[in-house]
Amino acid sequence: MKRSKRFEVLAERPVNQDGFVEEWPEVGMIAMGSPNDPEPSIKIENGKIVEMDGVSRSNFDFIEQFIADYAIDVTVAEKSMAMDSTDIAKMLVDINVSRDEIVNLVRGLTAAKLVSVFNTMNVVEMMMAMQKMRARKIPSNQCHITNVKDNPVLIAADGAEASLRGFDEMETTVAVVRYAPFNALALLIGGQTGRGGTLIQCALEEATELELGMRGITAYAETISVYGTENVFVDGDDTPWSKGFLASAYASRGLKMRFTSGTGSEVQMGYAEGKSMLYLEIRCIMVARGAGAQGLQNGSVSCIGIPAAVPSGIRAVLAENLCTTMLDLEVASSNDQTFTHSDIRRTARTLMQMLPGTDFICSGFGGIPNADNMFAGSNWDVDDYDDWNIIQRDLKVDGGLRPISEEQAIAVRNKAARALQAVFKDLGFPEITDEEVEAATYAHGSNDMPERNVVEDIKAAQELMSRGITGLDIVKALANNGFSDLADNVLNLLKQRISGDYLHTSAILDKNFNVISAVNSRNNYRGPGTGYRMSDERWDEIKTIRQAIKPSDFDV
Amino acid sequence: MSQEKLIEDMVREVLKSMTQAPQTSQAPSKAAVQGLTPDHDYPLAAKRPELLKTPTGKKLSDITLENVINGEVSPKDVSIAPETLRMQAEIADGVGRTQLANNLRRAAELTAIPDNRILEMYNALRPYRSTKEELFLIAEEMETKYNATLSAAYVREAAGVYERRKRLRAE
Repeated sequence: MKRSKRFEVLAERPVNQDGFVEEWPEVGMIAMGSPNDPEPSIKIENGKIVEMDGVSRSNFDFIEQFIADYAIDVTVAEKSMAMDSTDIAKMLVDINVSRDEIVNLVRGLTAAKLVSVFNTMNVVEMMMAMQKMRARKIPSNQCHITNVKDNPVLIAADGAEASLRGFDEMETTVAVVRYAPFNALALLIGGQTGRGGTLIQCALEEATELELGMRGITAYAETISVYGTENVFVDGDDTPWSKGFLASAYASRGLKMRFTSGTGSEVQMGYAEGKSMLYLEIRCIMVARGAGAQGLQNGSVSCIGIPAAVPSGIRAVLAENLCTTMLDLEVASSNDQTFTHSDIRRTARTLMQMLPGTDFICSGFGGIPNADNMFAGSNWDVDDYDDWNIIQRDLKVDGGLRPISEEQAIAVRNKAARALQAVFKDLGFPEITDEEVEAATYAHGSNDMPERNVVEDIKAAQELMSRGITGLDIVKALANNGFSDLADNVLNLLKQRISGDYLHTSAILDKNFNVISAVNSRNNYRGPGTGYRMSDERWDEIKTIRQAIKPSDFDV
Repeated sequence: MSQEKLIEDMVREVLKSMTQAPQTSQAPSKAAVQGLTPDHDYPLAAKRPELLKTPTGKKLSDITLENVINGEVSPKDVSIAPETLRMQAEIADGVGRTQLANNLRRAAELTAIPDNRILEMYNALRPYRSTKEELFLIAEEMETKYNATLSAAYVREAAGVYERRKRLRAE
């Protein structure tokens, strides 16, 4: 065939490097509305659910039993289930119906019923609902801080810049597993340098992650995965009961924790049982609720390539985020892993969460260059900071970030690198040279950093664990070396685990270490003029960008 | 891996698996601690600091930078006490978060169990790790050694579910 020049140009466009597939319900390659999704139903006898979504109790898989016994409130279930799905959807977008009213009604719904509600809604309606249903009044954002070399000096500097830019939570992970204690330590110091009160985590396998938390090096955990079919749950080496126990274990050590799940994981792992991605994900959300987790990271997360490949997939991702808020859980709404080559498409995907605002719009935004992201590149990264800031300014939307000056960034990066240098010296870890501090201060990414002796670093990182070093030792090392402000910040972070105030839904800390959560900052959106409204101070922060010319600069 | 390749590989995997054999496939009691309410008492650190004690009996105001430097603060001083978790459970109940409240009550019990044992118990609850008897022994240990009755019931319930769903370790 003779090629059309126009189609030839289109073929070269970034979006045509993405993968797409037609719906294939038999294997679960369908975002919403699979013909195999069950019909909603509930039967209750003697206060126990004996049938749910067409399955009788004796045939419940372990997820169904957990949901029936822990997630659904039998005192309201029959009434809620009797309601028309479209009527529930209308209540979601009705500003005259309060968030509390919806939360109380949703307690009684099954997974299939929730799916049937979302099937009636378009994305604008879902965004309207999200604006009301988000648990915390104030939206926020989270970032990733990692690098391919696990260079701790760079992690400290990047963490400092990111916390100054406004991220309330920061997450690191490792390229080399045994570096983990250093990554966590570096991020702890960096995070407290940019803005006191920033919460940090280090994503690792469960035991090490919990141990770093117990030591007071990290402040919260997120990578507690749950799945929507029993086979995939078992493949993930867990059950709802083991994960529920882990949730209590974290709380028993005074650590904030959320679960993680997402559409597409069951298809990717090969056992979707022909159900829609959204139906299976809603089962995950209900497991999180049943286990008593305060929140959930979802929105497909690392499986985003799968819903993004099928029709209505990005709508399903918004629906799962919304469902999390309706079950009264904190939502860290993903917008993390790269799923497209197209800048247009990646922006459209993010507006679904950015416009209404979620507890953490990204989870997270790459606070590093794409190539340094050890979670596999993010949908947003450092090179997009100005785009994000200007979208906030264009739309007067609070996306959690603020523009900063180059001088401020350089100053906090340098301070964090110097603080880590001092702590390493104090604790007898391998030297951080002045040259490394200088490089980290001005770096774009790990390519700009001098090589470190990896063998020595890893040995010392293991020593951090074997010597039993805790957050208190970090406090002392900072105080001993003239960083008493940072020592105070780290100590204040440790003190959170005495009060446990930040174990509540959607908790973050302000710069004075006051807890802001869905207990003392409950979303009270009821239409224009209510809910979260940007303060004048915050609007000044967002609209003041270095790129804008001022009439006063002109000499006329 | 490019997205296109990922999707292609998945489609292939699914097709492959289709030609192969198919795969087989109560709320704890709440004892009021203090009559705390969310609006009046939360956050506890700011509004009710007098109620907060570390597991070692120190007050929040004892945890200062000066005392850390003087060596008067130990890691045990910066951890949560079971009473605090029960107070937070009351706050969670006050905002209608029953499941979170119950989680915090189980957590209060688990504060008594050492770190290593907690991790072992978690591993024992994973699929195919334990026999029913082994899980029952853990439940008994929780009850008798740590007075963790809610957690013990939770583990016994898991044992029953694992038995029905064939997720116990085969002898």
